[in-house]
Amino acid sequence: CGEYQQVLKSKDTAVKYSTAEKLYNEAKEEDSRRKYRKALRLFEQLMPEFRGKPQGQKLSFLYADTYYELGDYYLAGYQFERFVETYPESEKLEEAAFKGAKSYYFLSPPYYLDQTETQQGITKLQGYINRFPESEKMDEANTLVTELRVKLEKKAYEIAKQYHHTENYIAAVTAFDNFISDYPGSPFREQAFYYRLESAYLYAINSYAYAMPERLAKARSYYEDYQRYYPEGEFIELANAAIKDIEQKEQQL
Amino acid sequence: AQDLPLANGKEYTIGEINVTGTISYNEQTVIAYTGLKKGEKIFIPGDRISKVLKKLWDIGHFSDINIYVTSIEGDVANLELEIQEVPALANVRIQGVKKKKQEELIKENKLDKGVRVTENLETTTRNYIQNTFREDGYLNTKVAINTVPVEDTLNTNLVNMVINVDKGERVKIEDIEIIGNDALSDARLKRALKKTKEEKFFRFWKRSKFIPEEYEADKEKLVNVYKEKGFRDARIISDTLIRIDEDDVALKLNIEEGNRYYFGNIEFIGNSVYSDRELQRILGISKGDVYNGVLLEKQIADNTKPDANDLTNLYQNNGYLFSNINPVEVKVYNDTIDFEIRIREGKVAYFDEITVVGNDKTKDHVIYREMRTKPGHKYSKEAVVRTVRELGQLGFFDAENLSPDFKNVDQNSGTVDLEYSVVEAGASQIELQGGYGGGGFVGTLGLSFNNFSLSGLFDKEAYKPLPMGDGQTLSLRAQASTYYQTYSLSFSEPWWGGKKPVRLSTSLQHTEQYSYDYRNREADKDKKFSISGITLGLAKRLTVPDDFFVLSTAVAFQHYNLSNYNTGLFTFGDGYSNNFSLTLGLTRDNTFSNPIFPMGGSKFEVIAKVTPPYSLFNDVDYANLADQREFQLENEFGVLSQGEYNSVGQLVPTRPLRPGETPLGDPSKIDQEKYKWLEFYKIKFNGTWYNTLYNFGGSNSIVLRTHAEYGFLGAYNNDRGVPPFERFYLGGDGMGTYSMDGREAIAMRGYPNQSLIPLDRGVMSRETDNDGATIYNKYSLELRYPITLKPAASIFALTFLEAGASYDGFRDYNPFQLNRSAGAGLRIFMPAFGLLGIDFGYGFDPIPGETQRNGWETHFIIGQQF
Repeated sequence: CGEYQQVLKSKDTAVKYSTAEKLYNEAKEEDSRRKYRKALRLFEQLMPEFRGKPQGQKLSFLYADTYYELGDYYLAGYQFERFVETYPESEKLEEAAFKGAKSYYFLSPPYYLDQTETQQGITKLQGYINRFPESEKMDEANTLVTELRVKLEKKAYEIAKQYHHTENYIAAVTAFDNFISDYPGSPFREQAFYYRLESAYLYAINSYAYAMPERLAKARSYYEDYQRYYPEGEFIELANAAIKDIEQKEQQL
Repeated sequence: AQDLPLANGKEYTIGEINVTGTISYNEQTVIAYTGLKKGEKIFIPGDRISKVLKKLWDIGHFSDINIYVTSIEGDVANLELEIQEVPALANVRIQGVKKKKQEELIKENKLDKGVRVTENLETTTRNYIQNTFREDGYLNTKVAINTVPVEDTLNTNLVNMVINVDKGERVKIEDIEIIGNDALSDARLKRALKKTKEEKFFRFWKRSKFIPEEYEADKEKLVNVYKEKGFRDARIISDTLIRIDEDDVALKLNIEEGNRYYFGNIEFIGNSVYSDRELQRILGISKGDVYNGVLLEKQIADNTKPDANDLTNLYQNNGYLFSNINPVEVKVYNDTIDFEIRIREGKVAYFDEITVVGNDKTKDHVIYREMRTKPGHKYSKEAVVRTVRELGQLGFFDAENLSPDFKNVDQNSGTVDLEYSVVEAGASQIELQGGYGGGGFVGTLGLSFNNFSLSGLFDKEAYKPLPMGDGQTLSLRAQASTYYQTYSLSFSEPWWGGKKPVRLSTSLQHTEQYSYDYRNREADKDKKFSISGITLGLAKRLTVPDDFFVLSTAVAFQHYNLSNYNTGLFTFGDGYSNNFSLTLGLTRDNTFSNPIFPMGGSKFEVIAKVTPPYSLFNDVDYANLADQREFQLENEFGVLSQGEYNSVGQLVPTRPLRPGETPLGDPSKIDQEKYKWLEFYKIKFNGTWYNTLYNFGGSNSIVLRTHAEYGFLGAYNNDRGVPPFERFYLGGDGMGTYSMDGREAIAMRGYPNQSLIPLDRGVMSRETDNDGATIYNKYSLELRYPITLKPAASIFALTFLEAGASYDGFRDYNPFQLNRSAGAGLRIFMPAFGLLGIDFGYGFDPIPGETQRNGWETHFIIGQQF
């Protein structure tokens, strides 16, 4: 440890560089956070010294990668992005671009919080996919993008569902409408179709008599949508029960 | 990267690249920046070259960049990159201003070491400095900037900057002359010039600075004064600035008043949803009124108040986002003006997508459930304003930093998206105290999490550092000293079930109190008084009569247990008592908008706390308990005895009764019977009003808080009587008390804690000084002024007048027999600590039992609002 302290205080950048690189390599082998942290302290000191110099390229990559390994994805994303911009000819370009984009993926919070980072992650990963169409990380990148997209879908779906749950049926119908047109391939699509029908149905049957026919007709059209797309769907029985009631109510009126 | 030729560009292979003109940069660095490589194929001229140029320019470190082809050998082109570096700043010196100001100017203009000294930097710095001083009345400020290259052997391309500032004299207004005014006096007009004032000997606390920007704004205000009085055509024909000497100017305003006008016919055109009559009622201007352009504008659209009752809001609050209202003068004859109010109603707009950004702690559902703007609903400005207000009141976000953004406003489809951007604010509080008081060390540990998430309790990921974001409150508190311990845990969920705003709250509490032995100065653990309690409550926001109402119910059970614990509080030292009660409360609260510093609205509360009327059906004759054998005084062998009172007020048996003597009732047995299950009802009312008396802009205003409260504690069965529990104790800071007999400490500044016992309580009365009152009332007036309302700390100052008194029963009640006080204080609210405050109050009346007026008292307030 004393040796490390000496290197840390030393003015000899060459020694620092070699120690840092050694620590980094060992850390990678042993998967040791402690060594990554030690290496990082040296990298931090070296970065301004080597900026613009030939070794700077490798150093920048190691620096960014150390942040990445330590799980500090804010800085990793930023540093990898800088690397990609500064050294477009580097052989590590593809790896850096991928790790940079994946850092944003890691930053993406759960669906019920602000999704700024998720949006960023999608943009970055998509950018990677477009730029390196031949990459072997292609499948992984696509999986990550899909995961982030589904997260956004889940968010929109849950918000709409909350309107349904809090009995704000007009809001629920509008929100599900938007959901269906915004996210055509979503795994929540069937639920959205069904809950749109249920919201419209519950709204209609709790209306004054004069407004009921029009609203029942709307609920019926939502039923038809659901029935057309998901004739054997999960909610078909509930949907059929609803349409039965709608028909009954229509006859009574 | 792909390259494209420009014009008739030809493809070459790059040979050598030379960089010339660099001083501080390594040649290789510059080449690396360009991304050009030897052997690369490029077009000259071509897209690649221009991109390289642009990239270099964007760095902002070069003042000139040229790329030359030095020689061509076959299809190999040798390039030269000539660059001129912008010098960097070494040192900056500012002359002519004070040191503190110098630092400020350097900071504001970002004149840090190493900054590139461009033309632009010099110009903006000069302008900035000039403007700063002009705003302060230094009209003649001159700024000169010199840059001097640093001479050193390294040839580093650095410059020193010297800024010379000559502030000159502050310009004051010696005299303002107004001519041409008949209808309005000079004084009235000068008053309209709010920031531009003549120099007068009595204006010593504020300078009569001349500031051009403010003068311009003031001229407009002056014309508006005329407009309000019907002089529609009033204008300033000319205004002259006369320099009297270096630092004095005189202003001469030449005014043309024009005629005084009156409103003629006012017609509404284009209105289909509202009738002329409805619009007329809101406009409130009728034919024959003195013409008032300002009022007319205000009644159509008042930009100073978002919730004003004007024509625009009538439309805006009912879906007409695209509506447009224009008053047009259609005819002017003699002194009368006819108006047409032209209304373009437009399509009804509906909210479409409603989104929230910036919530990195608080979960979506907590925010969306509070919003009054919902997709598919008609657009309403009021709903937007109220949503912002109510999200602020949650306390999870910075209330001063909440904004709604209108997006995708689409006139054709009649939809509008809304995005609320929020900034999370710390919502948890920690209280950790240690102190010496009441004969020993008192330690308190309190944790209160205001945006807690119970569901995250078992989720490892949610600990950042604690599960947050479900809008729940969890607080834990433990307080311990040598002679008492109290623990409490409470939890509340504002939307129980997530369907409707039904608040569920629960709390558990346990206290143990030991008797204090004065001789040994330590707690006597054999003499113990313990209280355990549980409370379960539900509160629901109502929609009728309006949605500011909250109805609440709570069931509470408390068990008191005394063992060998004799104080004046109870007549029995061994025994128990149970308190099972039901509380019903109705509250209306529409105070806004910052919960720490409300600027308007009111809060009312009616609370009834009742126990079951046991005595109606338990067949105990409470009036004659003393006649029954089981409640009579007996000695240790169970023989009826004669007795006498000891020092702690207990009746102790002395000798067996002699024949013929009437048996004595044993007060401790009788009281145990009476208080086995407490029986009472309690009714409280309190009301608080907030009024902004004067607004200096934003939240900066003087607010009057008017407050009144009443409380009454009664018994169903007068023979059983009002229990000594649950009583009112008036006086002092009103903060929690050590004895947990359900007593309510009512704040009343200017007097010691719990000192204001009923005045009519004589020596002969049944109650002692330890007993609380059964009736009280209290009134207070408080003026508040905010010093700062930043999210890190809100501070406001206050001054108050208070009056209050307590009584033993309705027979004694006298609303004019009050103890009065006045004083001033300060409140500081910091999210991490809650509310802290200090008040100095002067009691004008004597404490009951004394003859001197009480005088000054100091009160410290922690964690509660007066």
